[in-house]
Amino acid sequence: MRQISAAYAKAVKELLREKAALFWTIAWPIIWVIIGSFSFTGSAPQGVIPYIKGSIAISMMVFALMIAGMSNLPASIAGDRANGLLAKLKSMPIKPYRDFIGRISAVITLSLLAAALVIVVGTAVGARFTGTETEIVQAIGFVFLVICASAGVGLMAGTLIKNLQGAIMTGVGIAVITSAISGLFAPYELLPVPLQVFSRVYPISSAQASIVHLLAGPEMVAYNPLTSSQVTLTIALSFALLFIGTILYSRLGWRLD
Amino acid sequence: MFAIHVENLVKTYDRRRVLNGVNLDVPEGEFYALMGPNGSGKTTLASIIAAVKMQDSGIVEVCGNKPAQAKESIGYVPQENFSSPKLSGKENLIYFAGLLGYSRSQANQLTAGMLNKLGLSEQADKRVDKYSGGMRKRLEVATAIFPGIKVLILDEPTTGLDPAARRAFFNMVQEIMDKKTSIILITHIGSDAELASRVGLIDNGKMIAEGTPDELKRKHAIEDVITVETAMKSDSVTSVLKDYSINGKVTESEAGYKIYSRNGDRVLADVVRNLDQAGHKVMRIEMARPTLEDVFFRLTERYLQEAIE
Repeated sequence: MRQISAAYAKAVKELLREKAALFWTIAWPIIWVIIGSFSFTGSAPQGVIPYIKGSIAISMMVFALMIAGMSNLPASIAGDRANGLLAKLKSMPIKPYRDFIGRISAVITLSLLAAALVIVVGTAVGARFTGTETEIVQAIGFVFLVICASAGVGLMAGTLIKNLQGAIMTGVGIAVITSAISGLFAPYELLPVPLQVFSRVYPISSAQASIVHLLAGPEMVAYNPLTSSQVTLTIALSFALLFIGTILYSRLGWRLD
Repeated sequence: MFAIHVENLVKTYDRRRVLNGVNLDVPEGEFYALMGPNGSGKTTLASIIAAVKMQDSGIVEVCGNKPAQAKESIGYVPQENFSSPKLSGKENLIYFAGLLGYSRSQANQLTAGMLNKLGLSEQADKRVDKYSGGMRKRLEVATAIFPGIKVLILDEPTTGLDPAARRAFFNMVQEIMDKKTSIILITHIGSDAELASRVGLIDNGKMIAEGTPDELKRKHAIEDVITVETAMKSDSVTSVLKDYSINGKVTESEAGYKIYSRNGDRVLADVVRNLDQAGHKVMRIEMARPTLEDVFFRLTERYLQEAIE
């Protein structure tokens, strides 16, 4: 437990002191919440605008979670490998999984902080949310699925891409491209059919649609992401990504030969 | 029982044998320097002893156990700066103490004492990216000297430090170490290796010589080393100097020409006179006792610095 908490404390401090990580994970999504809330509400009826803003805030929250997992996590792993820390850790009596739990807990902390700030700013610029207590709990569950899937991708990038900048840019690239093609930044109904299929299969966009459905209303989503088969797929793929990332990191992440 | 026992160690990368049957024994409490150029295999040897890499074949024991089973006894300081630049010196040490299983209060107490010993108390709360190279290296050594460490492995710890800082660094290491702790220093700097009680010279994955610094110099580099700097470099200078060097060997380096002589004292005046007669102005001439770098040169026909390049 002491090893995990030591790894966690180090990773949290590093993340919170890294200006670039704070900008891209927290400030950038907030900027888009503000811009989106005043620019993209169009000619929608007045009564619907707060929920459109709510939907935008949720999308940006999900994007913040993606950046935290897909970019900050590989940056932390690749950075420690580049500066020789992993070699040092290998010589010490610590198991890779304990370091992994510490790191991922730190990313979850930053993710939740970013998510909370994005929602607070969204609310401040007029976003409104619906949802019963049960729906809020379900939405939080989907938030954790986004974190799991993003962290899984981040672990893969950090493990397989040895170069620091390469690992960061791969994570950012995956986050931006998959956000764009899965309808995170654009309405689902405007996507071509193959991308609509991708949007339903990709666990992050599917979880985002579920959160919007639960907290901004079903009319904000062009399909029902809460069918049992869709939810099962989202859960299974999110955990699969995390599982693959964890296995890769545990087996290859500390390999220095 | 040796603190470190290595027997017939072999390690291959991409079909290239980096270590080729290395043998090494380091008794408890010994300060041992492993000296060789880049690519000689010394860092690979250190990282296998430190449980960071696995050998292809051969035996490696640290305090009687395989390295992976002796991690509590190993303090390893890799060549790269591994301390986190975003954390303070104290936070870095507390992190490593936590990894070793110390509680927060134990870690606080322990690290305060270590920072004091290392002369870093005043900078304890300063972020490491504000530290000088020497301060950062001292901090990193501290991560490898927690109680229970019996073997300290320092991989090129003084790279980038000036001679005074290097000397201060080794004084600090020797002061803080327990008498029973064995130290392995990996280096390509002869003057650093001179501080060790025993030195192993490694080249192309093989130990080519081993002994105390004096033994090595006596056995392999009995000549005096004369360095001559002339106003202009030319083949004619080389040809004059050839007559005064053993086997006619003259080497050229940034510092000037080097020749080796068994009678340095008597040869100096002749060298200056003959160079003068040949029309070459001598800017500087000096004689020195051989160093470990000269020993390496005698054994491999290469300067350590050339081998590094």
